Amino acid sequence: MADFKVHQRDGEGVSVIDLKGYLDAHTAPDLENAFQKLLNDRKFNIVVNCRELTYISSAGLGVFMAFIEDVRKNKGDIKLSNMSPKVYNVFDLLGFPILYEIFKDEQEAVVRFRAQLKP
Amino acid sequence: MSRLKKILLLLTAILLFIGIYVVDVVRNAVSLGGSAWLSVREVAVFVSFVMLFLSIQSTRALRQTSVPKNIGQLLAYSIFVLAFVGLIAFLGKGSSDANGEVPTSPGAIATLLSSLTAIALGLFSIITLLTIRDLIFYKRKKGTKRNFLAYAVSLVVANTASLPLLPGESQLIASLLFSVTVVLIVVNSFKQNWVVYLSRREKLYSIGYSSLLFLVFLAVNILITQTGLEHSLVAYHPPLQSFIQLNAIFGVIYFGMAFVSTLFHMPTAEVYERKQSELTSLHNLSRLVTQVFDFSDLVDSVTSMTLEVVGAKSAWLELIKGRNDQGDVLVEVVSLKNITRQQIESIAVNSDLSLRQFVIDSKRPLLIDDVNADRRTKHIKKLDIAVGSLICVPLSSHSELIGFLHATKAFQYGFDQDDIDVLTTFADHVTIAIENSKLIAKSLERERFQQEIMVAQQMQKRLLPQKIPHYAGLDVAALSEPSLEVGGDYYDFVALDAHRFGVVVGDVSGKGVSAAFYMAEVKGIFQSLSRVAASPRDLLLRANQALSDSLERNAFISLLYAIFDTEKSTVTLARAGHCPMIHISGNSTKDVRPSGLGLGLTHEKIFEESTEETTISLKMGDVCIFYTDGLTESRNSDGEEFGADRLVNVGVNTKRNSAESIKTSILQEVRNYTGNSTYGDDMTLVVVKIL
Repeated sequence: MADFKVHQRDGEGVSVIDLKGYLDAHTAPDLENAFQKLLNDRKFNIVVNCRELTYISSAGLGVFMAFIEDVRKNKGDIKLSNMSPKVYNVFDLLGFPILYEIFKDEQEAVVRFRAQLKP
Repeated sequence: MSRLKKILLLLTAILLFIGIYVVDVVRNAVSLGGSAWLSVREVAVFVSFVMLFLSIQSTRALRQTSVPKNIGQLLAYSIFVLAFVGLIAFLGKGSSDANGEVPTSPGAIATLLSSLTAIALGLFSIITLLTIRDLIFYKRKKGTKRNFLAYAVSLVVANTASLPLLPGESQLIASLLFSVTVVLIVVNSFKQNWVVYLSRREKLYSIGYSSLLFLVFLAVNILITQTGLEHSLVAYHPPLQSFIQLNAIFGVIYFGMAFVSTLFHMPTAEVYERKQSELTSLHNLSRLVTQVFDFSDLVDSVTSMTLEVVGAKSAWLELIKGRNDQGDVLVEVVSLKNITRQQIESIAVNSDLSLRQFVIDSKRPLLIDDVNADRRTKHIKKLDIAVGSLICVPLSSHSELIGFLHATKAFQYGFDQDDIDVLTTFADHVTIAIENSKLIAKSLERERFQQEIMVAQQMQKRLLPQKIPHYAGLDVAALSEPSLEVGGDYYDFVALDAHRFGVVVGDVSGKGVSAAFYMAEVKGIFQSLSRVAASPRDLLLRANQALSDSLERNAFISLLYAIFDTEKSTVTLARAGHCPMIHISGNSTKDVRPSGLGLGLTHEKIFEESTEETTISLKMGDVCIFYTDGLTESRNSDGEEFGADRLVNVGVNTKRNSAESIKTSILQEVRNYTGNSTYGDDMTLVVVKIL
């Protein structure tokens, strides 16, 4: 079974999570932990970069659902970027683009956050 | 020896003694001469005593008494015999005083008294000999029996020598034999091994008994050598006097040495007692093994045995539950004795010096001899807990720390090196028992889990349509293959009226028992709403509303609901995040994919805004394929997905066949593709062909 890796980078006011590999029911807890850690650190502006994400299952999608409410309650957001067409298709099928902002590039997402952060 | 034999022996001895007495009385009266008579009499006396000896020995052999009790009984006998002898002496004196002069030839009563004295003293000597023998044989070694037998043989020889058989130099030989016997007595008297194994209390008794016995035997010695008793005994049976004397000497020396030996062993009594209880406790460890089935029993025994093993005042067992963000261990007190959780917490919590941390760092037991003097535990003084010394032993399994065993005593310097060693050994056993207990619990849990899975699988199977309904104008086929465990795929049919037929396909996120429950919920919702919902979209809106409260935050359900209208030749469908419907009509193939969100993802407003409904017209021979992502995501051994394109291809190639045949072809193609790959998500396929 393919690996799954979560890596976190902190930018100015925005945290970026890089996903790599195969996100399913077995690997979902890794992403959950990463989100939980960000929430504990009160970092609510999160960009998830899916450039190296090869597969996402419904359990993987569930992780986003589990945290989005808390993040938004704290005036933050989870934005997604750099999805491969295949991964985008999975998000799209479920209607995620209606609920989440999905960007082609990570920088666009960061810029969007910055714009929102300015009063 | 049988009981009858013993009684016979005893009776014969008594009869012989009576016979001898009668002969003695008669002989004194009529002055019968002849040494032949005398010899027969001596042999008879000897045989009687041997019989007595044998009968007493066989009685004693069956007894199992403790050493102090054994000595105590000997003391009781001795006092009884001395009193008896004293009484007889008093009576004899009284009778002779009455006559005014000592009669030249003793009368029947005097003979009886002296005979009884001789027998009583002889009996006492036999018991003495057997008691000392038991003591010497307490911890038998190679030479023990040999030395004692040497004494016995020497005793018999010395006694025989005292018979007036050898004239002249017999006196010298007799003294020589006597000396050899005394030397053997001294040699045997060094066998005092029993002293070591006495408890402190028993040693105290033993000191008392042996000092008294020492005095008693000294008295016996004086009595039979310095008084008229000597002549009386020699007159009765010459070897008897020597037998009694030698055994009395044995008594003096043996119990004298026993007294000294016990006295010297007194200081070690406590140590021995402790070792004894340690041994018992460690032996009790085997109890732990049988208790691994009940964790609470197990940890309860651990603390109560800690109290036993080192005589601690309080004890508690902590197991490590994990670590916090700072990397400090988090422990849970699983069992405690004579201390409260609050007290444990206040002992453990000290501004910056954690006792546990010391143990974690050193990986060795931590002993605090004086709680008040140690900076790590000074704070305990301020608490209202009587703790003088404290020990904390790590429990480690495969070099991984799993917990701590604590014990306290009320006074300072309560624990010594032995306690640390014993507790360390104990801790190892405890660790093994706890690990085993955890493993057993885990395997039991796994078994239960598997049973739950089986129940869920059976439930799930029953939730799916048991047979495909026949509906005029439609050819329907369906299959649902659950994955290895329990999946969340769902499909169902509903005949709404004579011309409207509903097909629903769904997928619950996640797997396992919870997925099966959600699936049951979806079925209930679908079955009830399909009757009242005006359209597929209406049903999805209502279903989202119904499900949004009961679904977990990270769970959602994708659903596609299509209503075939055979009168209008249309299909109307709405999609809640589910895989699109494939529509094959003539040479064209389309993914029918009205927009829509998964159920349970968001609240009503957004859901309502984003969920569309679409209606397409159908022709005879059109094929509609519904599926779940488990089918298109089936993987081959290279990890590549089957994909929607392959599915469409099979559909196109087989569209002229029956729905059942199309379904079988698709399944076959998936099987061919995945080969032996065991990747298993559920897969569901519904094929509807317009007739």
